[in-house]
Amino acid sequence: MRLDFVRTFIDSTTELFQQVIGPAVSVSSVTVKPSPVAGRDVMAIIGLTGESQGRVIFDMDMFTAVQLAGCMMGEPSPGMTPLVRSSIAELASMAIGQAISRINDNGTRLTMSPPTVITGANLVSYDQCFETLVAPITTAFGEVRMNITIQDLN
Amino acid sequence: MVQEFSNLVINGGLPLTCLIVDDSAFARFHLKRLIESFENVLTSEAANGNEAISEYRRLKPDFVLMDIVMPGLEGVETVRRICEADPAARVIMISSLSHKEKVEEALAAGAKYFIAKPVTTGDLRKAIEQVLTHKDDRRPEESK
Repeated sequence: MRLDFVRTFIDSTTELFQQVIGPAVSVSSVTVKPSPVAGRDVMAIIGLTGESQGRVIFDMDMFTAVQLAGCMMGEPSPGMTPLVRSSIAELASMAIGQAISRINDNGTRLTMSPPTVITGANLVSYDQCFETLVAPITTAFGEVRMNITIQDLN
Repeated sequence: MVQEFSNLVINGGLPLTCLIVDDSAFARFHLKRLIESFENVLTSEAANGNEAISEYRRLKPDFVLMDIVMPGLEGVETVRRICEADPAARVIMISSLSHKEKVEEALAAGAKYFIAKPVTTGDLRKAIEQVLTHKDDRRPEESK
């Protein structure tokens, strides 16, 4: 696990959330868990490729996703609309994009896939043989968990 | 609040036209809303690179707002193709990927300006004024 990159992902996400959805953001305890990762109602998944490989999954409950999207859109949303899904994808993409930019500027080539958002009950992500670092981020709209797996190819 | 572009007289007073290219519906929604806070700008949208090339050819917009990370034909290659066909194209790159190498790649492909996401009204206004006045200062803004 590239813990230095994990720290960059968490820091970038915290800063981005503060910029976009307000100041009430903090990272509480970080834990390492074996796969599979149990998610909540909404998962935004971004793949990482390059000199390191892995993925970041943001998971949150439906209420939090709808509230976050409403904050980003500047208007409340009635539920899980396509625009809400897109807002969550964009939030994840901006956070990880900023982190990847920092990592690249520090000399490691890393790129990201466009985000995928999945919704449903009790979602589970299966990643064989990869430990996942879980960082819960508390926002004014509820908790967003970052599930991060990244390791060097060699 | 409606804002005017200061000291700009473009198109003899006709509305400016803008093509927004992003695979994210939210990003298009957000950029369109920011653009609509400016006076006299009409927007059109494309959700991927191929659609952008086709829309650019059809509309010949005054400027383009272009994302980088898109499925299929991504943003930098799309800019390259648009600028090969129309070297005068005014493309503003907008991306969360803002590392030095990526910015240089976008500018080398023909983009005239680069904004790191998340985009504010101020960022956008500055970028549009810059490309519309043909000021060929290709330095990107400071990283956020």
